[in-house]
Amino acid sequence: MIFLWLGRFFIIFSMIFMLIGIIGLFRFKDFYLRILISAKIETVGLLAMLIGLIILSGVSFASLKILLIGLVLMFTNPLASHAIARSARVNGYLSPWEKIDD
Amino acid sequence: MNFLELVLCGIAIYTVFSIIRVLLGPSIWDRLLCLNVVSAKIIMAIVLLSVISNQDYLLDIALIYAFLGFLGTVLIARFIEKRGD
Repeated sequence: MIFLWLGRFFIIFSMIFMLIGIIGLFRFKDFYLRILISAKIETVGLLAMLIGLIILSGVSFASLKILLIGLVLMFTNPLASHAIARSARVNGYLSPWEKIDD
Repeated sequence: MNFLELVLCGIAIYTVFSIIRVLLGPSIWDRLLCLNVVSAKIIMAIVLLSVISNQDYLLDIALIYAFLGFLGTVLIARFIEKRGD
């Protein structure tokens, strides 16, 4: 019984994090601030959801696969966000504040 | 309407907001970034669906989609780096 509530707690925790991410997506006015959302907050929401699902689905082959997906995404999500940020910086996409300084 | 289906509807609503953000994004990089967010949500939805319906093969689809999404994002980021030169 405890596992049921623990799994649900993780899922609710991940829903809250995704809500914060969505609010952040709309409130941050600049591209370089939104990278934080995609790199960190989405990854945390993702991992919390996957851990909750692992707890809910118990010890089985499926939960091993979910763990593998979680591991893969833990590394690739920030990497993809870094690639996007790097391509924006190399291309010289300046955020509004930087335009004044240069 | 048990708990997991409710969570699936929540993820669907979040995905709609992310797609709105993709359409609004001023620059190409905003759009690509929010596309990455949308694909992360789609992976969550696939895994959730496979747990609800107890079908294991959906997890393989989510894993492959995670790799392809990452690969696509990095390639598009490299492509638009020099404005497609």
